[in-house]
Amino acid sequence: MSACAGVFAVSCIREQATGAETLQRESQLNQFLAEVERRALRIAEIGIRDRDEAMDLVQDAMIKLVKNYAARPQGEWAPLFYRILQNGVRDWHRRRKVRNHIMVWFGRGSSNDDDDYDFVAQAPDPAGRSPDEELQIDEAMQQLEIAVRALPTRQREAFMLRTFEGFDVAGTAVAMGCSAGSVKTHYSRAVHALRDKLGEHWQ
Amino acid sequence: MNKPRDKERLTGVAAADARFAERAKEQFDGSVDRLDAAALSRLNRARHAALDELRQPSSVGQWVRWMPATGIAAAVLITVMVMRGPRDIELIVEPVAVTDFELLLDNESLEMLEDLEFYSWLDAADLDTYGNVG
Repeated sequence: MSACAGVFAVSCIREQATGAETLQRESQLNQFLAEVERRALRIAEIGIRDRDEAMDLVQDAMIKLVKNYAARPQGEWAPLFYRILQNGVRDWHRRRKVRNHIMVWFGRGSSNDDDDYDFVAQAPDPAGRSPDEELQIDEAMQQLEIAVRALPTRQREAFMLRTFEGFDVAGTAVAMGCSAGSVKTHYSRAVHALRDKLGEHWQ
Repeated sequence: MNKPRDKERLTGVAAADARFAERAKEQFDGSVDRLDAAALSRLNRARHAALDELRQPSSVGQWVRWMPATGIAAAVLITVMVMRGPRDIELIVEPVAVTDFELLLDNESLEMLEDLEFYSWLDAADLDTYGNVG
């Protein structure tokens, strides 16, 4: 009986320790997510040009990070979070492409919209910004968004993670799930393509 | 001869790339700062919904937490059962009908059924005390 009581006491102490750890971990996660959430929303929004959908993707990424990677070291959270988010953006484009193909099959879509970015670019602004808000947005940023959106997927990811989120090459490689060499190549190509495209606006 | 000039050109390109990236970052940060209150509120709610997941312990975690206590309790139970011995365990007597049924299904019984005529003759015949047919 005393052995059982001892085991119960150990379980209770461990329970309390686990509770304290959970609270600390929750506080750290809250701080981390509060730091990244706004930039993550903008990055997702630039990727898919739809704020509501971008919001859903960010929330999914938050939930997946908390559920699956909360126990990982804090330094790993940022690349893991963006990896989840980028996967979500890619899946979103894949689903959209399949939907477009089905629409074409049933004769409801145009037959020449192979590039899903063109299709999205032609849609009305679903972010629901008012004209006043539109005016507030800097023209340079609008040009940049359009140019970034037109980049190939991997170049766009490398550029946004390196430039907007400020990841180094190693962190970007983890977030993109590729080698550091690939990150350098994608990033360099992205910057040159953007400079060529935005030259007249940005020089 | 052209190496220093190439190096200069590359450095110039790298510097221009860096300036471009810096300007892009400024523009992006500005657009983040301009996010409206509705978006910030939704982000806040999304974050708290995600953190709620942390408070719900996983079923696996619960099992792992109680595993030592469960293991020791099981060991104590087994020890008690072994110490008390088989005295309290009632002998399980199979019903007669079940035993007969097993005899019938036995291989030997099947052989007996095949030689039914022989066994009926044996039964009819008289046997002396030494087993000879009389």
